[in-house]
Amino acid sequence: MDIIKRIIKYRQLFIVLVWREFAVRYRYTIIGVMWAGLQPLSMMLLFTFIFTYIMKIHVSAYPSFIFYFAGLIPWTFFAHSINSSIPSLTNHYQLITKIYFPRELLPLSSIATALLDFVICAVILFVFIVIYQIPLTWNALWLFPLVVLLVVFTTSVSLFLAGLNVYYRDVRLASNFLIQLWFFMSPVMYSVDSLGTKMKLMLFLNPLTFIIENMRRVLLEGRGIVLWQMAFVCVVIGVFYVVLTKFFIKIERAFADVI
Amino acid sequence: MSSDEYTLKLDGVWKKYSTTDFFHKSIREEIVGLFNRKKDDTLSKDEFWALRDINLEFKQGDVVGLYGTNGAGKTTILKIISSITYPTIGSITVNGTVAPLIEVGAGFHPDLTGRENIYVNGTIIGMQIKEIKEKMDNIIAFSELAAFIDMPVKKYSSGMYLRLGFAIAVNSSAGILLFDEIMSVSDGAFQQKCIDKIKELKRENRTIVMVSHNLSLLRETADKIYLIKDSTAVPMSAG
Repeated sequence: MDIIKRIIKYRQLFIVLVWREFAVRYRYTIIGVMWAGLQPLSMMLLFTFIFTYIMKIHVSAYPSFIFYFAGLIPWTFFAHSINSSIPSLTNHYQLITKIYFPRELLPLSSIATALLDFVICAVILFVFIVIYQIPLTWNALWLFPLVVLLVVFTTSVSLFLAGLNVYYRDVRLASNFLIQLWFFMSPVMYSVDSLGTKMKLMLFLNPLTFIIENMRRVLLEGRGIVLWQMAFVCVVIGVFYVVLTKFFIKIERAFADVI
Repeated sequence: MSSDEYTLKLDGVWKKYSTTDFFHKSIREEIVGLFNRKKDDTLSKDEFWALRDINLEFKQGDVVGLYGTNGAGKTTILKIISSITYPTIGSITVNGTVAPLIEVGAGFHPDLTGRENIYVNGTIIGMQIKEIKEKMDNIIAFSELAAFIDMPVKKYSSGMYLRLGFAIAVNSSAGILLFDEIMSVSDGAFQQKCIDKIKELKRENRTIVMVSHNLSLLRETADKIYLIKDSTAVPMSAG
C-alpha cells in the first residue's frame, strides 16, 4: 500500500515518465507504435507454422493462431516488463544520485509502457475474435481480475529484480536465461488442460500458469474459473506483492549511495 | 513558529561512505538491519566520514552558500537535505517543500525537444503539469532559446542545455531551493541574469542553499556562508 500512496503523491511525475518512455521508444521509427503488435504477431506466426505443419499438434477447436496469440499477449507483457525494468534504475543512475523521487517510478513506468503495448495487442486479439466469430460469454469478464493479477505479479517481480540489480548486476545477465526458462514453464504454446494432476500442480507453482491458462479459457472457450484456485493464486500473489515491495522500499533508501 | 514557514535543520549529521567498489556487503547489512537495529558509529576498513557532526539551521528567506574545495562534502549536504541519501547518524528536519534539485537538466532526454524536456525536468523537480503549462512562456523567455525550443536537446550546446535547465529550476515554486554549482559554467551575461533571479527569489522570501567553489559569486548573493572543510561546516563572514 505504501507504494500506491507514493505513486499517488507523485502521479504527475509518473505520468510524464510513462509518456517520456513511450515517446522516446517510437521516436525516429518508421512504423512507430506498430512495433507493439509486431513481436507477438510474428511469434504467433512462427508457432502456428511449427505446430501446424511441422509438429502437427492440435491445440484448440478455434484457429490455433488465436490460441497462440492469446497466450503470447500476457507473456509478452510479463517478459517486456521484466526486461525493461531490470536496467531502469541503473540506467538512470544520474537521476537517482541527483534527485529525490520514489525510485519505484522508474521500473513502474517501464511496466506501464509494456501495459500500453498489452492494450494494443488486446485490441488486435479482439479483431481476430470478431473476424473468426468466436462466441463470447459472461465468463469473459473474469479477464479483468486476471489482468489485475498479472499486473500485480509482474510489478512485484520487476521491482524485486530491478532493486536487486542495483546491488548485483548479475541479475541483468541472468535475466535473459531466466525469462527463457520461465517461458517454457508457462502455458504459452501449450495448454495444461490435457496434462495429469501431478504435472498440473507442478506447473501451477508458477502464478503465470494460472493467469495465462485462464485468460484463454474465459475469453476463447467461454469457460469459468475454478474459484478455490483463484482464491489460492490471489493469496500467493498478494503475499508476493507485500514481501517484495517491502523489500524494495527497504533497500531503496540506499540506492543513491550504492548505484 | 507557524507551520507554513520553510525551515531546515540538520542536527549532528554524520555520513559514512565506503571507498570500495563492492557493495555486496551493504545489502546484507540492510537485511541484517531488519532484525537487529544497531547504529554503527565506528568506521570499518575502506570507510570514511564524508560529513562529521554537521549542525546547520536555515530559516525562511535565508540564502546560504556552502563553500569548499572539491570533495569537501558540499554536495553530500545537499543530497541529505533533499533526501536523496540519509544520514548515518543524526537527523534532519525539513519544513516545507524542497525542490529536489541538485543539478540542472536532470532527466533531460536527448531525443526529446526542449519543450518536451521542460515537462520532464519540471515534474522531476516537483512542478505540476498544469503549473508548467502556465510557466512555459516564462521559462522559454528566461532561457532565451525560443528559436530552438522545438529542437531535440541532443543538438544543444552545453551552454544552451544549462540555460534551459536553469530557466526551469528558477521557476520552481518550492519553498526551499537547492543549487549545486549551477552558475559556474554559463557566460557572463547569463550569469548576471541568474544572480538577479536569485536575488528576486530571495525577495519572495524563499530559502536557497547554494553550493559553489566560486567565493565571489557566493558573496554576491548569499547572506550566510559556511566553509565546508574536512567534512565539517565552519561559518564564514559573508559579503
